Amino acid sequence: MAILEARNLTKYFGVLAAVHSVDFSVEKGEILGMIGPNGAGKSTLFNVVMGVYRPDKGEVVFKGKMISGLKPHRICRAGIAKTSQMVQPFNQMSVFENVLVGGLHGKGLPLSRAGKEAEEILEFVGLGGLKERPSGSIPVPARRRLELARALATGAEIILLDENMAGLNPTEIEEVLRLLREIRKQGKTLIVVEHIMRVIMGISDRIMVLNYGEKIAEGTPGEVANNERVIDAYLGEKRCFA
Amino acid sequence: MLLFLQSLLNGILLGGIYASYSAGFSLIFGVMGVVNIFHGEMVMLGAFITYWMFTLFHIDPFLTIPFSALSLFIFGYLVQRFVINRVVEAPPMISYILTFGFHLIIAYTALWVWTADFRTVTTGYSGLNADIGGIIIPYARFVTFVLALIVVAGLYLLLNRSEVGRAIQATAQDKEMARLMGVNIHRIYAITFGMGAAITGIAGSMLSTYFIVFPQMGLPYTIIAFCVVVLGGMGYIPGALWGGMILGVVQSLTATYLSAGLSGAFTFILLFIMLIVRPAGIVGKGIVE
Amino acid sequence: MSRRGPKALFITIVLVLLITPYSGMSGYLIRLFATIFLWIGKTGCWNIISGHTGYIDFGAVGYYGIGSYVTALLMTKGHVPFLVSALAGGLVSGLIALPIGLPTLRLRGAYFGIATLAFAEAMKQILLEFDKTVEVNFFEGPHGITLPMGPPNEFFYYIGLAIMVAVVGITYRIRGSKFGYALRAIREAELAAELSGVDTLKAKVEAYIIGAFFLGLIGGVEAYWLTYITPHMVFDVFITIQMVVMSLLGGIGTVFGPVVGASFLTILYELLHRDFPYTYTIIVGFIIVGIVLLMPKGIVGTRTTKGRVRKI
Repeated sequence: MAILEARNLTKYFGVLAAVHSVDFSVEKGEILGMIGPNGAGKSTLFNVVMGVYRPDKGEVVFKGKMISGLKPHRICRAGIAKTSQMVQPFNQMSVFENVLVGGLHGKGLPLSRAGKEAEEILEFVGLGGLKERPSGSIPVPARRRLELARALATGAEIILLDENMAGLNPTEIEEVLRLLREIRKQGKTLIVVEHIMRVIMGISDRIMVLNYGEKIAEGTPGEVANNERVIDAYLGEKRCFA
Repeated sequence: MLLFLQSLLNGILLGGIYASYSAGFSLIFGVMGVVNIFHGEMVMLGAFITYWMFTLFHIDPFLTIPFSALSLFIFGYLVQRFVINRVVEAPPMISYILTFGFHLIIAYTALWVWTADFRTVTTGYSGLNADIGGIIIPYARFVTFVLALIVVAGLYLLLNRSEVGRAIQATAQDKEMARLMGVNIHRIYAITFGMGAAITGIAGSMLSTYFIVFPQMGLPYTIIAFCVVVLGGMGYIPGALWGGMILGVVQSLTATYLSAGLSGAFTFILLFIMLIVRPAGIVGKGIVE
Repeated sequence: MSRRGPKALFITIVLVLLITPYSGMSGYLIRLFATIFLWIGKTGCWNIISGHTGYIDFGAVGYYGIGSYVTALLMTKGHVPFLVSALAGGLVSGLIALPIGLPTLRLRGAYFGIATLAFAEAMKQILLEFDKTVEVNFFEGPHGITLPMGPPNEFFYYIGLAIMVAVVGITYRIRGSKFGYALRAIREAELAAELSGVDTLKAKVEAYIIGAFFLGLIGGVEAYWLTYITPHMVFDVFITIQMVVMSLLGGIGTVFGPVVGASFLTILYELLHRDFPYTYTIIVGFIIVGIVLLMPKGIVGTRTTKGRVRKI
């Protein structure tokens, strides 16, 4: 059974359907890539899954239970976490404390356990050296890693990554990809949104393509790369190449 | 029935007056996101300018309006340019604490310098009323009402038809975009604040003809401006008229049929409910953070 | 850890303060200290609600007033002893904070401030007009309520000290706790906190109720001390303003900020208000502007060294 399933998801902003009748499912341990031109609805879809928006139609089912309509913190505690496109560290708090919050409230651990796990996670993502620094003052690539660390601390089984690698140089990207593969080895499931084609093609087991809020293609990287509709969406007259 | 109509009319006139001094508040919030807690002090300053010009130089209150408008414009422009612009990028909490500090400084300095005495501006026509079929319409209030409509309409036109106005709207809608198009954001903010101050000063000048003028009068006006703008929609200028009318009528009717004191309680309860149920205002066009 | 320093200092000062009245301190000083303790208490409460979460509460005096009135009414009409009445004042305030907090804490920024202000002002108006409108003789409206004569100032000195220690202590405990982390996360990035599993509404409401309870309790204590209360006195928005400024000055969101801010401003007020009544407020205005522009973290908060996060 798929660990996460979305059926007929639709979300309107005013009269515009940002997401329209989207179905998808993810298997446990999979890495699903999601691509689409700017404004295709990828972030909105993530926000609907996370409970930031209620879907106007459709539902989201996680491990057999309906989660659509629940508040984000409940969905987080149930086991899904998300990194944000615009990173939002708890600025005045240290890197360590940021991750601590995830463990305390997402996983529900007592203070000492959460502290130990936070240390371990920070080592794992390579932020151990920065752990006492105020999170608002660390460089951008580190902040993105922090988002990931915080998501891991919540004990999430599924992590939604919303353009976590934007603006990183190739070396940094390789580092993150290595981390993601490690995370998958630990049994977690990932849904990755990125604009850098070779990244998505390289890491995803399957890819889903959105355009104008609708799913227009789904399949292996090879299938998707050769799909006419996908090529049109990206290179069509009215759209710029993302 | 007559009582009801009179009460209703009073409410509407009152509403127009409320709108006149709330429009500036809405403008400032709409463009800069600043909740200006010394807003009432600008009403007070406008009123005092008129008071002094009338008392010392015997200039008719309505003729002092250009002077008060200009003074408040300069005042607002300078305050924004040199102080508030520094915190405009910071979280909103900072700007209302800052403006709150200004409220204390201005109100209490005025209190110190001008003393707490109540003052009035009484002209030859202050007490005159028109009597239409048993319903009394005080001239001064009516003229103020008309002026209020003119001011709000004028502001609306300025925002939509002039180049400065469009720059202001662009800045309000998308700061970064406006900046990319060559708009000097900080200058626009200063101009906007100046405009908001000027309109509020005009309102203050007009109000002096029938409300009591004293240094501490500001805070209730600020609170009413909050209410009006929440009712009508923050940042939506025509909403100031709707909000003003609704508030004016509610207050007038509760004062007539229940008690004058309770109309105050009603105002706050109404405000509270509006904020929870429909923060975007009656017409729904307000900015909700 | 760097918290030991200020904590040890605070405890030492408290111990000293416990015995100073016996060393022959003048009545004036006893009263002054009691006033300072209670202001630290009030500011600390406001800080619990607003300092940690970043939701600026402009209606805090509402709970202070409710506590005052509950205590006054219980003592005058119910002949209930003081301590029980004051605790009841706190409890009622805490209870009322729930239905008020739940809807308002969903609002953002300026709207929360306005809504809470509206709440406090509405309470004042209701208490002023209720009796007249419903034609009873209960709240006494603008005439106010006179409480039974209370014990001498020393009593309020010790109660004030106890409350101050309680409030500061609770703030200290919260700060290093799971709850405290939730509150701070909410202030920094509420959505991110929610996404990380923090039940933001519950945390905000809990902080709000705790603050309201203690404000109600303090309201009851001060009602007894003042012996006479009216709606204008105990629902005075200036009380909220003092709490805000004292927090700002000392350092919003810190544990000892309220202590520093409240002490400083109470003493300043004492020095100025008799001879230069308006000057105090004008100075406060300048302090506010100065702090916002120059030292936004307040006196205590600015002691965070660059690059390292010190928990004060």
